[in-house]
Amino acid sequence: MTEETDNGIGGVHIKYLLHCPRQLWLYSRGYRPEQNNSSVAFGEALDATTYTRRRDIDLGEAKIDWVTTGAVVHETKSSRTPSPQHEAQVRHYCLLLARLGVNIARGVVHYPLVRRTTEVAWDAFARAEAEKTEQAAKDVIAADQPAPRLPRSRCRGCSYRDYCWGDL
Amino acid sequence: MTAAARTYWLTEPCRIRREDNSIRIERPDQTPIRIPITDIRDLVAFDHVDVNTSVVSLLNRHDITVHLLDHYGNYAGSFTPHEGMSSALALRRQVEVTSDTHLRLTAARDIVATTAANVKWALDTDLLDAPLKRLTEDLPTAGDSNALMGIEGNFRRSSWEVLDTMLPPWLRLNGRTRRPPSNAGNAFISYVNTIVYARMLTALRCTPLHPAIGFLHADTDRRRNTLALDLAEPFKPLFAERLLRRAAAQKTLRQSDFESDVARASLSKGGRKKVAEMLRAELASTVYHRSLKRKVSYEELIHLEALKIVRLCLEGTSYKPFRPWW
Ligand code: SF4
Repeated sequence: MTEETDNGIGGVHIKYLLHCPRQLWLYSRGYRPEQNNSSVAFGEALDATTYTRRRDIDLGEAKIDWVTTGAVVHETKSSRTPSPQHEAQVRHYCLLLARLGVNIARGVVHYPLVRRTTEVAWDAFARAEAEKTEQAAKDVIAADQPAPRLPRSRCRGCSYRDYCWGDL
Repeated sequence: MTAAARTYWLTEPCRIRREDNSIRIERPDQTPIRIPITDIRDLVAFDHVDVNTSVVSLLNRHDITVHLLDHYGNYAGSFTPHEGMSSALALRRQVEVTSDTHLRLTAARDIVATTAANVKWALDTDLLDAPLKRLTEDLPTAGDSNALMGIEGNFRRSSWEVLDTMLPPWLRLNGRTRRPPSNAGNAFISYVNTIVYARMLTALRCTPLHPAIGFLHADTDRRRNTLALDLAEPFKPLFAERLLRRAAAQKTLRQSDFESDVARASLSKGGRKKVAEMLRAELASTVYHRSLKRKVSYEELIHLEALKIVRLCLEGTSYKPFRPWW
């Protein structure tokens, strides 16, 4: 059917879920505000956030290293601070790939700006974690109403601010 | 909207051509202007434009609308890219919300009431207190859009009369006329209202909503997007009535800014430039928004209005049309 009722959960969904469930709910309903970070023109932003394209890109971005014993999923982040959200996103890619029959060894998040990497284990526990997160995303999307807004201070930099806070 | 992209106003006849990823605007007797495609949010053409296929495909790829005004300032149509933002789920809700008679009429009444209050605000006079009171009393009895439009029409007639008392004789409306506007004042109002409508159309195109499924205006209004028409209503007085009053007080407009015939008037080339300039400045002026905790431009207010309908459709929150709070 339509993109919204297709319950495929991609990397963006996981990222939004962990940032703000409300954001995930709105995103899943097809409301995708233009990214207001300056240089990105509207048309381009629109292209890049289109669901299917984005999913391809996300899987594509999680570059994979192949060694004989298993695949290593690499993800590069432009952020300076490692965060549990990034690990969860990588675990989600591992889950999607494992379901496709890929034998996953582990994941690595790269932070080139601070020359750091974070190892993400892939074992039964990690898989259960990833499945739990995926289910949480599905639950948020299936709800009739969006989650309440976060405390304002946590909305900084979110492109949904005009939507969430724009009513007087 | 805070993106870098801007609205470009084409006040003279011109030819638009593509040059790599820029568009080149060629005007008679002037050096062409080049604008990178990523700098454009939309184009408003006050005069004839000439485009070719390669421009159209570039505009389409970048989701840029070209709004076309006719000689008298009426909306002549637009080049609208395919709907990149639309979402089946949001659309389905929009159709449900607008086909629920109760919800639809409630929103339509609120739009009429708010627009009237905004007219009074724009004219800043107590001469409209009585007509406004009558409108407020009559609204609950209106059972359909036609009745609502009738009540609104009564109020509007009073408001044009009051506006006329604030204008020099040559700029007076002497009753509202369109297609074509009969005199300078009417021509000014037509142009400005059309631009406000075009701004709303552009704002709606940044949401998953369909601009043609609305509350107040009849679905059969040909060529027009009823939701954009509805949502533009409360904003029109803020621009049209207010700027006309201001232009009269400051003597910004002159008779030579119009081309007037026996029963028809339109802006002259110079007049179009002036009006585009006034509107551009007004759209960019800002007010402090209490809940966003920052300054927002009038252009952004139009954008926020479109988001209210997204909220109405997705979350079922009630829609309160825009009223100036400052
Ligand atoms: S603005 Fe705040 S509440 Fe709204 S989606 Fe963003 S983070 Fe969540």
